[in-house]
Amino acid sequence: MDVLLVTFLRALAFGTPLLWAALGEIVAERSGVVNLGVEGMMLLGAFFAFATAQLTGFPALGLGVAALVGGAAALVHAVVCVRLRGNQYVSGLALGMVGVGIAGLLGRGWEGTPLRTPLPELSWLTLSGLVLSGVVWVFLYHSRWGIILRSVGESPAAADAQGVQVFLVRYLAVGFGGLTAGIAGGFLSVAYRPSWTEGMTAGMGWIAIAITVFSGWDPLRAVAGSLLFGALFHLSFRLQGFVAPELLKMAPYLGTILVLTVATARRGAWWQEVPEALGAPYVRGER
Amino acid sequence: MRRIGPFLVTPNPSPSWGWSTIVSLLAIAGALVAAGGVFWAYGVAPLVAYRTMAEGTFLDPRALPEVVRRAIPLLLVGSGLVLAFRAQFWNIGAEGQILSGAVAATGVALFSPLPPALLIPGMFVAGFALGALWAAVPALLRLRWGAHEVLTTLLLNYVAAYGVEWLVHGPWKGSSMMGFAYTDLFPEAAWLPLLGTTRMHWPTLALGLGWAIFGSVLLSRTVLGFEIRVQGENPEAARYAGIPATRTVLAVALLSGGAAGLAGVGEVAGIHHRLLSPGQISMGYGYAGILVAWLARGNPLGAIPSAFLLGLVFTSGDVMQVALQMPFRVTDVFNGLLLLFLVGSTPLLQMRIRRVSGAGGEAWTSSS
Amino acid sequence: MRRFAWALVVLLVAGLAVGGVAQPRKLKAGWIYVGPIGDYGWTHAHDVGRRIAGKTLPWLETTYVEKVPEGQVEAFIDRLVRAGAKVIFTTSFGYMDGTLSAARRHPDILFAHCSGFKRASNVATYMADFYQVYYLNGLMAGALTRTGKVGYVGAFPIPEVKRHISAFALGVRATNPRATVHVRWIYEWFNPAAAKEATEALIAEGADVFAFTEDSPTVVQVAAQKGLPSFGHYSPMYRFAPQHIVSGQLVHWQKIYIDFLRKVYDGTYTPRNLQNVDYWWLLAEGAVELGAQPGMPVNPVFRPRLEAVKVRVSGIGTVSVYDLVLRRLREMSQSPPAFDPFTGPIYDRNGKLRVPAGRRMTVQELTTMEWAAPGIVGPWPKEPK
Repeated sequence: MDVLLVTFLRALAFGTPLLWAALGEIVAERSGVVNLGVEGMMLLGAFFAFATAQLTGFPALGLGVAALVGGAAALVHAVVCVRLRGNQYVSGLALGMVGVGIAGLLGRGWEGTPLRTPLPELSWLTLSGLVLSGVVWVFLYHSRWGIILRSVGESPAAADAQGVQVFLVRYLAVGFGGLTAGIAGGFLSVAYRPSWTEGMTAGMGWIAIAITVFSGWDPLRAVAGSLLFGALFHLSFRLQGFVAPELLKMAPYLGTILVLTVATARRGAWWQEVPEALGAPYVRGER
Repeated sequence: MRRIGPFLVTPNPSPSWGWSTIVSLLAIAGALVAAGGVFWAYGVAPLVAYRTMAEGTFLDPRALPEVVRRAIPLLLVGSGLVLAFRAQFWNIGAEGQILSGAVAATGVALFSPLPPALLIPGMFVAGFALGALWAAVPALLRLRWGAHEVLTTLLLNYVAAYGVEWLVHGPWKGSSMMGFAYTDLFPEAAWLPLLGTTRMHWPTLALGLGWAIFGSVLLSRTVLGFEIRVQGENPEAARYAGIPATRTVLAVALLSGGAAGLAGVGEVAGIHHRLLSPGQISMGYGYAGILVAWLARGNPLGAIPSAFLLGLVFTSGDVMQVALQMPFRVTDVFNGLLLLFLVGSTPLLQMRIRRVSGAGGEAWTSSS
Repeated sequence: MRRFAWALVVLLVAGLAVGGVAQPRKLKAGWIYVGPIGDYGWTHAHDVGRRIAGKTLPWLETTYVEKVPEGQVEAFIDRLVRAGAKVIFTTSFGYMDGTLSAARRHPDILFAHCSGFKRASNVATYMADFYQVYYLNGLMAGALTRTGKVGYVGAFPIPEVKRHISAFALGVRATNPRATVHVRWIYEWFNPAAAKEATEALIAEGADVFAFTEDSPTVVQVAAQKGLPSFGHYSPMYRFAPQHIVSGQLVHWQKIYIDFLRKVYDGTYTPRNLQNVDYWWLLAEGAVELGAQPGMPVNPVFRPRLEAVKVRVSGIGTVSVYDLVLRRLREMSQSPPAFDPFTGPIYDRNGKLRVPAGRRMTVQELTTMEWAAPGIVGPWPKEPK
């Protein structure tokens, strides 16, 4: 088969979970809330999707449960850092730990069995990931709701003054992020590699966060980002005879730093700006 | 302003030390109750679990050095990051800076012509320098082009990790290790001395304590410290006052990165005596250091108790595994819950609670 | 009435005394694992061994810690000793120096370190090695490949894995002299996603039979999705691809654990005489087994295909690959083995003579070998010239 075609297909397969997780993170961060707990939410999703699919025989149902569990986990983060104004980075790290931990505890005894009814890895899920990024793009840039979401991420005080319910918007955005992260994890355990193994996300949640940055918080560029990460990951095995694989794996991170720097230097061209209020808790001023 | 029973609650953005401690203890108590639920669900009585943990950590004179050993890198990283965070420089790349320090130390230990007596000082100097450089890059990227340091420092962690991976599998792979991915052992002159029969590498501990004191003096007694505080509390005011952001940001980047670099030197020179895969060198101290700095609430000296607290938490995880035969993931759940409660206690922290007697006279204040 | 009471007391005392005597002496052993016991690979296999040893030896009490970082092994050894462990197994190469150092501090405790090469009066070493089984798998892989390209996903380019790939390649070449073994490294013991993409890369390059070293069944699953045969690794992986898994290697660490612990219990091993105790256990000792699940050396699905391929082997004549595999298995299961894959003359892939004619490689040579057997294609870090 053609090298390019194979690489593209592999990039699509490996990129699908990355894209799902990154899309959710983009929406959450657009509302001004960083969630560093993606890895934990993905692992929870992976376990619940597998367990549900194994018990019922319906992988799609497993993905649904994964979405709910991921969303619920994200809401914990939302409560802590939106309502309780906790530090978002610390809260996200903590959520990640709890998620990874709970998935590991519950997953005992589920190892060593293949999924009875797996999904094919290039399926409607891949396709719907691509569709979803288009939908999120339209939502963000061409809908009233998108303007509201972005305004909450840029200047919550101004949005508040306009009558926007800042907290509600942030809850919804963070919850959506957990939903898609759960599905991303579920994809791993019911389609990409249909079985459950402790710690099976192996750092993909962090790559998704890197893609969020790489994309400049733009859902369409997240597609490009996840394809690039997927392609480079695949190529690190194809090109092993020529380049040290560690250096190939390093490349996307260095590339992201470069793109980020160039883009912020020349604002507005390819890069979007970091959501202004990203990472900062919103305290309603007393008037 | 709200009134609950006999208490009057008002917001207070800068809580006192006493109140911070009380709130932190309350949060820890809450987390213990929540984690008790997890233990109970796992079939271990919560009180038994906590007694075992206490017996296996601070009540056990032989286990205490292990707590300290875990706290050493956390102290260096944490007290450095306190400075960075005070200047609003969000360095979350300590993990990569630790690895840089470890790489520099290894380079000096294995490949430098230094005489044995100068090896250890040379390793610390080189480790500090490379760690500082690793943090200076994002600082310059921000100052020159405005690239956000949260992202660049985070991404550089991966670059450092793959760099170490490449070194131990490639050019620096040791000839004596049967082909496993390690460098050769350092010469013994490059091993840090240990305290008595413990495994505490005391030079790094001394550096950490010294660093915390130095940071505290720097912040409160020097011009640079004043500038850092102004820059962090009110960048607008700093600009009006003519304080150059270049200087403060670069200074805190160098200081925090350098401190993390020292921690990396301590890990390879005090424990492993060789460079090895990145996950074994740092064990997430760079990320845990963020928590130390955050718990220290802006005071470098505060990093001392908070580093020991986190060292204690990590070691408690060990105890849970050994004494109670719980899976290692229990540690993640426990640590995560603890953090969630600590973070979630922010609103309580930023409250001033006063008791009002009858008509509203002040009886006592819980915070000044 | 009083007499009756006395009788009761006597009975009770006697019962207690008998119970006290019959109460067997206990031995407590602790295991330190590098990964989670749920990895379904290396650590999982050691834990299965631990549990079987605990069930087999009534006087044995076991305890374990999982996912111990290399720098922490000494602290955990101290904790296990304080918890009463008299025997401690450290199951990762990276624990070597920490184990030695802890052993000096605990001279009365017996240690056994897996896969290392340093011993002391109270530190033994042990390893259950797969190279013979890999050779047998190679014989089958050579017969099954249609494209002439066999894929191998390797964890780390270290002597252990290199030895296994070379043994595998020798097997492949024995039944298919023109076939090649294409190697990709993932530089991790456990990373399902990397194992998957490495397999996909090999498939894209035309490989159609797979073997691997990674702590999950990923390679088997990916190959099966494409309808391609593969060989399991470490744990029973038959269930993951009953139609596509040919065979594989299984480990039985309990054989070593039970033997070692029995000898500790009966006083053969003491903390003063372990200096030369090194287990290097293979097929003959039952520490390893051929197959994708216990008791099934070759998946019956593949028997007809393997019987259809005939090869000429010097000293045997023309024989089907199926019979050859079983014959070699029998020969290597004898003690001492009547056959060894690393018997000279063996040239490396660059044409240099590595094992002279008629000689077998020693254990020392096997555990330090860095060269690649003929037919191996792909990067081979630190390949000797």
